[in-house]
Amino acid sequence: MAAGSAVAGDLNGLLALGVVVAVAAAVAAAGRRVGIPSVPLYVLGGVLAGPSVAGALGLPAIEPGTLTTLAEVGVVLLLFFLGLEFSLDRLIAARKRLSGAAAVDLLINFPVGVALGFLFGLGALGAFLVGGIVYISSSAVITKSLVDLGWIADPEAEPVLGTLVAEDLVVAVYLALAGALVAGGSPVDALPRIAVALAFLGAIALAAQLLAPRLAPYLGTSDEDLVVRTVAVALVVSGLALSVGASEAVAGFFVGVGVGATPLHDRVADRIAPLRDVFAVVFFAWVGLNTDVVAVAGVAVPVLVAALVSGPAKVVSGAVGGRLYDLSPRRSLRTGLALVPRGEFSLIIAALATASPNPTVATVVPAFAVGYVLVMAFVGTVAMSQADRIERFVGVADS
Amino acid sequence: MTVYESDLPGVGKKHEIELGGEARLVVVTHNTGKREVFRRENADSDAEKLFELSDGLARTVGTVLEGAYFQPVATENIDTVLGGDALIEWYEVPADSELAGETIAAADVRQRTGASIIAVEHDDDVTPNPDPGAGVTAGDTVVVIGSRAEVDAFEAAFIDPDAAGEATDIGDPVGPGTGDDADDAGGGV
Repeated sequence: MAAGSAVAGDLNGLLALGVVVAVAAAVAAAGRRVGIPSVPLYVLGGVLAGPSVAGALGLPAIEPGTLTTLAEVGVVLLLFFLGLEFSLDRLIAARKRLSGAAAVDLLINFPVGVALGFLFGLGALGAFLVGGIVYISSSAVITKSLVDLGWIADPEAEPVLGTLVAEDLVVAVYLALAGALVAGGSPVDALPRIAVALAFLGAIALAAQLLAPRLAPYLGTSDEDLVVRTVAVALVVSGLALSVGASEAVAGFFVGVGVGATPLHDRVADRIAPLRDVFAVVFFAWVGLNTDVVAVAGVAVPVLVAALVSGPAKVVSGAVGGRLYDLSPRRSLRTGLALVPRGEFSLIIAALATASPNPTVATVVPAFAVGYVLVMAFVGTVAMSQADRIERFVGVADS
Repeated sequence: MTVYESDLPGVGKKHEIELGGEARLVVVTHNTGKREVFRRENADSDAEKLFELSDGLARTVGTVLEGAYFQPVATENIDTVLGGDALIEWYEVPADSELAGETIAAADVRQRTGASIIAVEHDDDVTPNPDPGAGVTAGDTVVVIGSRAEVDAFEAAFIDPDAAGEATDIGDPVGPGTGDDADDAGGGV
């Protein structure tokens, strides 16, 4: 899907990786000065270093294919961490209020995304993917903003983070379904693939729950053993998932859940976080490498329409969720504003879409996702930092 | 006073402590160990960040706030100023002390010096708030509380007669070798 004159092959794999990470880091550093979150900027870095910009300018461009495996490692580690923080006990404890807020979130935003997908003429599969892209808020961007703005100590932090946890769980199931559907054919053809994918994930989930505590001692006592063995397990399991047509990301999620249930949780999180940070950047930049700026420009109108519809939809669903947590109107509005940014998971869905044999889905959906994430991560962050003004505008500000 | 605890998934834990009135102190403990401390005036006001501490620093500050902190320097002369003129001091009982081999009551500690023995450490056994009938032997460490003058009087009477009248000098060489540092540290609190 590369546009322009790709002069790949000029750079060896090592240099390609280095250049992509360096460009992404530079763009993110520049953007941070003006308060733009890093995730979309890493993508932008990839776009700049890729065939569509650097290649079109006659510079040595990086062929996305050289980094595909490393990008997959990034996805697995991102979801691995999600699983690590995910605790069934915690979810059960928060079930009552959470399920209300989470259900409102899902029932408003997913259908809005699906409707937008149909409106843009992307067909059933495209609409299903756009539904996921629009539905899932960015845990990374939102959590960082909550901490940076000090909202983390305010009551809205609980419904916001609770909703993110619920979304993460939904997206694990969603990715399993989407992975099977994207592989192509009619929904009937997809049924066996869905069955295999779900069965495989069920087996991993069960193993995580039952076996992980007993396996924990084998993960090693020294830090070195711990990191090497944990990454080995995560890659083997997610690679097997990929080979049976299940989502490698979801497999990574369940490996994380398994490790999270052991006493090793904190140490693993501590040691593997730097690894995740590096590979996640590779993944985000890889999405950028795959992105054709002409295609993104071509979906500018759909992106704008989606932003205008789905931004307010998130604010409304979040505000309702806040009310379910007995928050004041002002704090409920803030809950909604905080949930606006979209990011890494929408990009994972975009990466999934590139595998579709349907050319419209494979090119338009990723381009839409990249444009949409760039806009929404920025708009959402600005919305949070301007919450005071928005509160006054809506008329719920304190005296 | 109630402390509220809640989970912040992916971030850590939050504790809210009622401060009286509607105000609350909010402590966010990140999974990295970092603590952020906020104050919120009432239920609907925004939390105002007061400060943040690293894990290690937070633990140290915590024990100071708890009143349990003292510097475990290897010396018999460590003191802790409580505010006002009150002072807690540690002394190792020398063999020639009037206290060695006596009970606290028989040595008449309180009547003679005004200071009170609040703990006795014998080998590794610590007796907090000892009975007046409790015995003290040479080599024990006694923890004494009183005003500075009372604690000095105690030191002069039972630990080191030469210390009488000069203990208020800063940098006074009290114990062999290490006394200086401890005294300075104490006076500087």
